[in-house]
Amino acid sequence: MPNLQTLKREWLSNPRGDILAGTVVALALIPEAIGFSIIAGVDPRVGLYASFSIAVIISLVGGRPGMISASTAAIAVLVVPLVRDYGVDYLFAATILMGVLQMIAGLLRLNVLMQYVSRSVITGFVNALAILIFMAQLPELIGVPWITYPLVAAGLAIIYLFPYLTKVVPSPLVSIAILTAAVFYTGMDVRTVGDMGDLPSSLPAFLVPDVPFTFETLRIIFPFSLTMAAVGLLESMMTAQIVDDLTDTPSDKQREMKGQGIANFFTGFLGGMGGCAMIGQSVINVKSGGETRLSTFVSGVFLLFLIVVLGPLVAIIPMAALVAVMIMVSIGTFSWRSIRDIRHHPWQSSVVMVVTVVIVVWTHDLAQGVLAGVILSGLFFASKVKRLFTVTSELASDGLTRFYAVSGQVFFASSESFVSSFDYKEVLDRVVIDVSDAHFWDISAIGTLDKAILKFRREGTAVEVVGLNEASASMVERFATHDKPGAGEQLGGH
Amino acid sequence: MKHILACIDASSYANSVCDYAAWASQRLQLPVELLHVVQRADAVSARSDLSGAIGLGVKTNLMEELVELEASATRLEVERGRALLAAGEKRLREGGAFDVRTLHRHGGVVETILEREENAQVVIVGKRGADHEFAAEHIGSKIERVVRASARPVFVASRQYREPRNVVLAYDASPAAERALARLVALPTYARLPVHLVMADTDNAAHRRALDEAAGRLSEGREVLTTLEKGKPEAVIAGIVEQTPDAVLVMGAYGHSPIRTLIVGSTTTAMIRTVRVPVLLVR
Repeated sequence: MPNLQTLKREWLSNPRGDILAGTVVALALIPEAIGFSIIAGVDPRVGLYASFSIAVIISLVGGRPGMISASTAAIAVLVVPLVRDYGVDYLFAATILMGVLQMIAGLLRLNVLMQYVSRSVITGFVNALAILIFMAQLPELIGVPWITYPLVAAGLAIIYLFPYLTKVVPSPLVSIAILTAAVFYTGMDVRTVGDMGDLPSSLPAFLVPDVPFTFETLRIIFPFSLTMAAVGLLESMMTAQIVDDLTDTPSDKQREMKGQGIANFFTGFLGGMGGCAMIGQSVINVKSGGETRLSTFVSGVFLLFLIVVLGPLVAIIPMAALVAVMIMVSIGTFSWRSIRDIRHHPWQSSVVMVVTVVIVVWTHDLAQGVLAGVILSGLFFASKVKRLFTVTSELASDGLTRFYAVSGQVFFASSESFVSSFDYKEVLDRVVIDVSDAHFWDISAIGTLDKAILKFRREGTAVEVVGLNEASASMVERFATHDKPGAGEQLGGH
Repeated sequence: MKHILACIDASSYANSVCDYAAWASQRLQLPVELLHVVQRADAVSARSDLSGAIGLGVKTNLMEELVELEASATRLEVERGRALLAAGEKRLREGGAFDVRTLHRHGGVVETILEREENAQVVIVGKRGADHEFAAEHIGSKIERVVRASARPVFVASRQYREPRNVVLAYDASPAAERALARLVALPTYARLPVHLVMADTDNAAHRRALDEAAGRLSEGREVLTTLEKGKPEAVIAGIVEQTPDAVLVMGAYGHSPIRTLIVGSTTTAMIRTVRVPVLLVR
């Protein structure tokens, strides 16, 4: 039972800003929901209902007040083959399973995995997402009447210039209204939302997907559900971080994961496709003064109102107006600073970022891009750390004993340089290896030390190892010091 | 070492909070921790930009704008807070406090009090905060949150300081009232002050017996009066408080769930609102 005061704070601390911002966001949700229904190859209804139900459910059960979730590009591009080969009911089933997987991930506290996603990967992800959103608009811009281009340009001009006049009304809304009126009264022949498919005129109904409940069905949908769940959680965790930073308030990431799961689970039963948090729309929300659950809730409810009550009006909106809004979202989502940063960031970071973008745009799968980025940044990190390793040596005055002092990080990547840093061919009676300043991170490191000792022994040299206790104390896994207090001092202390 | 946590803001209650804290500090021989919380102006809702357009570099620009807005507003607040704390500390020392430490923190008022109450013997707050200066008969929105969440007794200061000479204990034999009674017996702050036990209920043998038993526990070296009168608790207790010179009201607080309080209101809140004397709330 959450306490009343918390509820009040999360719902009613900023009603004016929230209601207005939620209204602005609802308008920014329509084009995306319709656009991505088209990409995924389903009826616009599916995207619109999904956006409504995800937004409303997540406002109740999510962990990040003020964040906007709905049906998104990231998820839509993943499900194209599924809908094409098996039909829309399999998409609903996959969405339900996606929700279950996300809830499990939340229970397992997998949000800690986000710590391994470096900043470069996140930037790459965001940029790739912006490119995907833009690419999703291309079908509406290729092979259309020439009048579409001036319309899109006019739409963008209104969106960006209107705020200089007044900031009281959302400029994307003004842009949509003006373009719709212009097209309607001049009778221009351009594509409208009504041409894209039926708009719902009824409220969503609860239904069980019409798929056979067999192992075969599970085999078909599971890979899709897994990728959808992973991408959804990735984007949600990143967006939550962005909203955390902007509002300077903490959020409960684990609760957010479970919330995303619950939202997608129920959305599948309402005949909607999966979704997740939206970077662009969440920024629009904060920028418009929304910061509590109420803003997310209003955005969902107002969206439903728009499509059910104003359905006939929505149908005459020219696609060009929506394309303009989506181009704005994609421009706002892209991290333009990262292009400038490529020049003066370390080359490894830039490579990670670019590789992430390229793989996403190539495969249309954000999960694969992030995976590649994480693996690359891990490799680059290991190659940087392995250089933090030196061996110094001195010969005793009698010329029969040599002292080696090893310091730095010994692990799988530096084990080869460890072995090769000793001179086994030198004729000695005794070798002393002092490892008290070294950190042995894994069994590869320990194995390397054994190997070096054996090599000396074969030459008939007696070996004495000094300070092994301190060195292998850094084998975190063996002594599990990382979960005891003071582990940090221990690791940094020698 | 325990201390007394006194919380002040820019409201007119700051002075009386300091005076009561000084008085308690003398009687308990404990230092006072004087807390002022700087609440940040909320730039997100203050910007009133409904344009909804996001362009190049919107995240960084928005971030910088919000930081700038909040930083300048907060710097002012910090300066005001410093002045408040300095004045409060001076007043406490003049009032004969045992020792004074000041504490200036950023954050939410309630959250900060809960963080800092670990070693507090008692938490002293004003009846209303600076935002409620002109809303008489209302209690500050923070009081209920502090009392409900706090593990310590909360002393709600009235606007005018008068050294407490009498105690009125609101008693209804509930667990909360029993705790208040036990606290009163144990506390050196109120030692030897006369206590008036008030029960607002029908006059029957069982109630009489409970009241006399409670009075018996208090009677060590002090005067004890009892009143058993049928009526609305707020009215009966407020009546007795009116008749008692320089009283402090002690009561168990918020014995019911927040949900019930939402529907039927809370005796505790009504009580704090109606009496014009300080109230010690024990949960």
